[in-house]
Amino acid sequence: MSETSVLTQGQKTRIWIEANLLGRLAPAVTLLAYLFLFVPIVVLVAYSFNASRSTVVWSGFTFDWYGEVFKDRGLRQALQVSAIIAFVSALVSTAIGALTALAIVRRRFPGRDALATLLLAPMVLPEIVMAVALLVFMVALNITLGYFSMIVSHVLITVPFATLIVRAAAASLDRRLEEAAADLGANEWQIFWRVTFPLLLPPIVTAFLLAATLSFDNFVMSTFTSGVGTTPLPLRIYSMLKLGITPKINALGALMVLLNVLVVVAVMGRHLKLILKK
Amino acid sequence: MGAMANRRGFIVTLLMLAPSTVLIAVFLIAPMLIVLGYSFAGRDAYGGIVPGFNLDSYRELFQPLYFPIFWNSVKLAFWNTVLCVLTAYPIAYFIAFRAGRFAPVLLILMLIPFWIDFLIRISAWVVLMGRNGMINSVLTATILDEPARMLGTYGAVLVGLVYAFLPSAVFPIYAALQPIDRALLEAGRDLGAGPVQNFRRVTLPLSMPGVMAACLFVFVPSMGVFAIPVLLGGGKSIIIGNLIVQLFLDFRNMPLGSAVSVVLLVFSSLGILLYMRALRRVEAARA
Repeated sequence: MSETSVLTQGQKTRIWIEANLLGRLAPAVTLLAYLFLFVPIVVLVAYSFNASRSTVVWSGFTFDWYGEVFKDRGLRQALQVSAIIAFVSALVSTAIGALTALAIVRRRFPGRDALATLLLAPMVLPEIVMAVALLVFMVALNITLGYFSMIVSHVLITVPFATLIVRAAAASLDRRLEEAAADLGANEWQIFWRVTFPLLLPPIVTAFLLAATLSFDNFVMSTFTSGVGTTPLPLRIYSMLKLGITPKINALGALMVLLNVLVVVAVMGRHLKLILKK
Repeated sequence: MGAMANRRGFIVTLLMLAPSTVLIAVFLIAPMLIVLGYSFAGRDAYGGIVPGFNLDSYRELFQPLYFPIFWNSVKLAFWNTVLCVLTAYPIAYFIAFRAGRFAPVLLILMLIPFWIDFLIRISAWVVLMGRNGMINSVLTATILDEPARMLGTYGAVLVGLVYAFLPSAVFPIYAALQPIDRALLEAGRDLGAGPVQNFRRVTLPLSMPGVMAACLFVFVPSMGVFAIPVLLGGGKSIIIGNLIVQLFLDFRNMPLGSAVSVVLLVFSSLGILLYMRALRRVEAARA
């Protein structure tokens, strides 16, 4: 008798069958899911170059729909509104997030963990309820809806992301660098601007880009907090979609996909390079 | 000297925390309290708020007009959660255990939909599922005689929801599977456990916290969605999110809209509480 016969032949067969079933199931589902996620986006981009108005029949290559997008004054205006709001709210949100992250990582104060959890609330609460609450708040205080209300709403939902990113980086920062600066006679202010801030700059830039993207794409908050004349791009797209699909929307979608992918590459470029080098 | 440094440190801490605390207190907690107050207030003929305390708005929600909307929301959110978790688990499992050096690439690919504008992704499905859309042209060329009606159905809304929420389910499950000690699985194998038994007795229990987090991340937000039922469901399969939009933006009925928002908030808080309790039970069982 060999020593491997702890398992009977029947058990071995069962294990072989099970291994094959489980082993095939996971990759098959993964493949189908990635197709499910990406085929629609690829189709969208491909048909933005279609010469006819049809979204099915291919009738030649054209850039005309992109021209239509750039000619649309309403879209240009919406793009401007979205860009201003994304920039300002990302700036405010990153500043608040960085300050909070540093306080949580570096400072000792009572109720620190509770506060850190409370600050994440906007990530788990239903966005529509926060949006409605802000609308009611602005109306109650007689504040006209517009840039201010929209920026506040976007800052509220992007701050937790900015805080988390900077917090993770600050927690892994080598404190000896700051101690060395202190030993060399630098005061707190100098230590922050000459040592801590430069070291935290890459994650702060990442937080800024993430916050700007989230704000640029935000739809739920803006539905309730945008005012007359300050329609951001997603709201504009929504009303266009309600009227029906045209290749112009495909072209606009393709442009936004391109913009979003560029941001991803900018943020993850370093990580990607590391992976490819392996 | 020491006391002064201490006091200065305290002031610096306060200043650092002030912006986020003010933000949360003024623009999150205070507005929510106003909504809570409004949900108990009366309403004049023009939709204005009449101060007071009554339960009229909540009573109105139990009428046959609104009750189906709540039921429909819970049902859609439930099926969305089931489909997302059942699909996300094998994906997360594959990335964590089988993908090897492709794992980071698959993870980044899974992140991309997060970064692409939500409405643009949904519009892609409007194109695909249209009467003359790509899915129909494939179907009519092969098995169907006439184009099937897809847009404006319950199924279309569900497809849109799964499409929107699948990545939110993959990440928490992956985060729970990834750190599982491979030696435990080997030990199971050495003791004669087949892959299925090994999975059921070792992998699945260890990944339960991730599965629960995935349920939370899918179930709670899917009740507040309103664009997907409008664009893919043709406005027929209405859920809580649509009701809130209609009451606030179309009917200007703030007391009733506030009551619906409070109900949604209570649903979500229940979800979060259930999640935390289940998590504690899992951790207690493991200890």
